[in-house]
Amino acid sequence: MKGKGINPRKVSAVKDFLCVVPVLIFLAIFTYYPIAELLRISFTDWNLLKDTWQYVGFKNWEWLFNGSGTRYLWNSLRVTVLYSIGELTITIVGGMAFALIFNRMNKAFSVMRAIVFMPKYVAMSSAAVVFLWILNTDTGILNYFLSLAGINPVDWLGDRNTALISVLMLTGWRCIGYGMMVYLSAMMGISTDYYEAASLDGASSFQKFVNITLPMLSPTTLFLFVTTFISSMKVFQSVDILTQGGPYRSTEVFVYNIYRYAMVDFRMDRASTVAIFFFVLLLAVTVATMKISNGRITYDS
Amino acid sequence: MKKGLALVLAAAMAAGTMTGCSGGGSTGKAAVGNTETADTAAEAAEGGETAQTEPVSYEVTEPITITWWHALEDQYSDTVEKVVEDFNNSQDLITVQAEYVGSYSDVNEALVAAHAAGNGLPAITVANTPYVAEYGAGGLTEDLTPYIEASGYDIEDFGDGMIAASQYDGKQVSLPFLISTQILFYNKDLVDAEGITLPTTWEEMDTFMQEGTVKGADGTTERYATIIPGWDQWYFETFYLNQGVNIINDDQVTTDLDSETAVSIAAKLKEWCDNGYTYWTGTADDASSNMRSNFISGNALSVVHTTSLYDTYVDQCDFEVGMAWLPGGETKNQEIGGCVLLIPAKNDQATKNAAWQFMQYLCSKDVNMTWAEGTGYMPTRKSVLETEEGQAFLEQKPAFQAIFDNLDLINPRIQHSAWSQLSNIWKNAMAEMILEDGDVQDSMEQMALEINDILSDS
Repeated sequence: MKGKGINPRKVSAVKDFLCVVPVLIFLAIFTYYPIAELLRISFTDWNLLKDTWQYVGFKNWEWLFNGSGTRYLWNSLRVTVLYSIGELTITIVGGMAFALIFNRMNKAFSVMRAIVFMPKYVAMSSAAVVFLWILNTDTGILNYFLSLAGINPVDWLGDRNTALISVLMLTGWRCIGYGMMVYLSAMMGISTDYYEAASLDGASSFQKFVNITLPMLSPTTLFLFVTTFISSMKVFQSVDILTQGGPYRSTEVFVYNIYRYAMVDFRMDRASTVAIFFFVLLLAVTVATMKISNGRITYDS
Repeated sequence: MKKGLALVLAAAMAAGTMTGCSGGGSTGKAAVGNTETADTAAEAAEGGETAQTEPVSYEVTEPITITWWHALEDQYSDTVEKVVEDFNNSQDLITVQAEYVGSYSDVNEALVAAHAAGNGLPAITVANTPYVAEYGAGGLTEDLTPYIEASGYDIEDFGDGMIAASQYDGKQVSLPFLISTQILFYNKDLVDAEGITLPTTWEEMDTFMQEGTVKGADGTTERYATIIPGWDQWYFETFYLNQGVNIINDDQVTTDLDSETAVSIAAKLKEWCDNGYTYWTGTADDASSNMRSNFISGNALSVVHTTSLYDTYVDQCDFEVGMAWLPGGETKNQEIGGCVLLIPAKNDQATKNAAWQFMQYLCSKDVNMTWAEGTGYMPTRKSVLETEEGQAFLEQKPAFQAIFDNLDLINPRIQHSAWSQLSNIWKNAMAEMILEDGDVQDSMEQMALEINDILSDS
């Protein structure tokens, strides 16, 4: 045997690899190649209006970090972080609160849960248009109810202090049911033994929540945190329909910022530069999240 | 191992993010653009060779269906339908399908994207007048000169300013279609009743603003003297131009919007808003309809708007609508607004030929007069403007006297390939400065910095 034939371990490794190849090819074409292209374009002066382009070195990077683009880069970074904090709070805190409220397994509650979860199925574009009307300054129903309480009409989408909150209202309406459902299913997975044991020791329901429910939900919280965080960094549709990044760029999140450079100013070079920066940033944040959370999560075993 | 896996997963996740959000718009197309250039160059070379033996034919020989993109809103849809139907019935070969794309900037975004992609282009499209230079410089538009020569089209009959406005670098890259200009619409009944003098110069504006405004006992404004649109800088840029502000300096790479005069004009606009004589509309989608309803309901004595909406205002107002030339400064010039028609250069020759036939029809005198009579767009032909036909038109619409008196003062727009970026920065900065009570000097300086950056890098 020695010297002839092939090491069976190697065969198995090659087989394993072959199984992954289709996915790798897919990733290479649709993910890694576009990213490489983005990087390349960021060193050109490609304007959609023009048929020709040339390499311009670090000009776009200078514009981004030490030019007229810098101000708006930090602006959109700030707006995106604020938005993400908002969406994370709604999904995690709101979702958990709703899960605790709706954690009753009977028909009435299952109907109510369905109602809370339903907005997730409504297309974002349709929901955003409905919210345009709800938030309308003169004819919106929100201002109508506020007027009943004697509050002056608020220009929800036209005021820089309320525009981002308005976008978050739509987000909250859509996402809170999702957070609730995820938490509910996790809560049902927690063995009742823990609670029984705690009851015997005379723990209050608040103590049970803090010492049993919360830690047992930590993997779910991490999951929600990571997925929600990444999806919230990508928010675009609701901003596009509700505010177009305005007023005065106060809701110009990262993706909208990139869209604006690419499709309004037609500056593909600048859009690519910002996109690459955004990519690196997201990558760093995601890795950091993974690292920090490693080992701090309680898994039921 | 675990760490490595986490890293790869994280990378894939983040990478997924990127392709999800921006990749579609901005990846890989540069290469396409590049090869396309080579292709078009090759085609041009071929075209040149064949041209020597067999001249390019601009005739339509086979049945063809073409698309026309336009930005004509609801109030014009009857006219659009009638005009297209008449054309389709007038001949057998060409069928035109009209498609409403959205506002002028929506058309711009869709057109440039289609041009970059190389497909999905309309055979013929409208374009707002300031885009002519951008499109001409970018090679987006077909040069119409050979078409005009081949079919003996009488282009000299258009007003001179309109011809200039539809050219780029001496080439006729478009034809004037629906032309308008800025105008002051006023409530003639109230102005006559209260004996208010309309301002003819910027200096007289102060008095007019005070006289025209009606305030309640608690100091809130019940009627604005005028409203100047803030959603398009076209409506306020002549106030700057007529007082000697260049907007784009002769060097083509700097702006003088931070000059003393420019800052003082901006400060004045803000002062009037702060005093409640007027309000700044901002740039929101409903800014225009809010302004219109203020005028129609009598909450504003006058508004600055485009002449094209004359008939709309007349229909909706229960008072007589007057039109007055905007107050000037050193000069009293105004600018051509509205749209031109153009044929995207990346279309095939058969489509271009059909589009050219339709374009000639749309820009013909008869169709032009259909628009002029049914809407507030202006007659574009010298053979109307300078003859008895023009007099007949004026009898129908006496308010247009203000425009006919000043025809020579209507100039082409400023043409610069970064104009649309400049105008976005400008109108947003004005809105922020006035509505958020910013410092005028600082705002204008910051804005000028940004504008200089895009002017020098375009």
